[in-house]
Amino acid sequence: MMRRRNSGPFVAQRDGTYFMNLAPDVQAMLVHMFGELRDVLTTGDSNEPTLQRLFPVAYHQDPESNEEYQRLMRSELVASRLAAISRAVEVIDTAQNQAPILTSGDMSQFMQSLNAIRLLLGTMLDVSEDDDLPGHSDLEDDDPRLAQHHLYAYLGWLLEASISAQMNRGEIR
Amino acid sequence: MASTTESPATDVAVDEQLDTDKPWIVLVWNDPINLMSYVAFVLQKLFGYSNEKATELMLDVHHKGRAVVSSGARERAELDVFRLHEHGLWATMQRDT
Repeated sequence: MMRRRNSGPFVAQRDGTYFMNLAPDVQAMLVHMFGELRDVLTTGDSNEPTLQRLFPVAYHQDPESNEEYQRLMRSELVASRLAAISRAVEVIDTAQNQAPILTSGDMSQFMQSLNAIRLLLGTMLDVSEDDDLPGHSDLEDDDPRLAQHHLYAYLGWLLEASISAQMNRGEIR
Repeated sequence: MASTTESPATDVAVDEQLDTDKPWIVLVWNDPINLMSYVAFVLQKLFGYSNEKATELMLDVHHKGRAVVSSGARERAELDVFRLHEHGLWATMQRDT
């Protein structure tokens, strides 16, 4: 019997897909966070500074053009993000506590959604260039923000793993 | 008095013509959250850059604060900005100087 290689959170399969090697509780946590991201995108205040990070200025030298760009493209960007979230959740839900299998396209959607959560969390935590290891920051052990810093670090590790899996597969030239 | 100097109005028109001939450039700006590996990966994925080129651009973003990642017509630049925003990168566009 061929043994499945257990070499990280995303394992490339011979058929071109990826095996998500994450515990069910971690999968459930991701689904929960994707749901929160969906809620923020659909019901959040678009002028709220944290959410603004997901909708950057396009014309930084031309406010008028930027306003027009945002008017035309913002809803498309929201729709694109929601589609990516829906697919990421669907892949995990469909597996029903088994190992989710991601196609190349699924992996891309998953990665984008994961990064969006990380952007929001990092903005909330006011992460700076010096915070290479935010989980090792100067927060006291009982500081409630410590768990968020650990989560931020974990999401970074997971994102890095998804990039490595795709790079090793040669998804890009 | 006769003069070979063109009128100011013509000068403006010529300047505007030259200005509209300039391509649009798309810039990616440094931010403290996006992973360096992620930025390089996205640049390869979206623009087909080699690993070396994407890494070079990513390092420019990291060390110089920004890098020009594409250029061309305005519509193309807007599409590139949109795709970069889809991936969470901090991208803007402007006419080349």
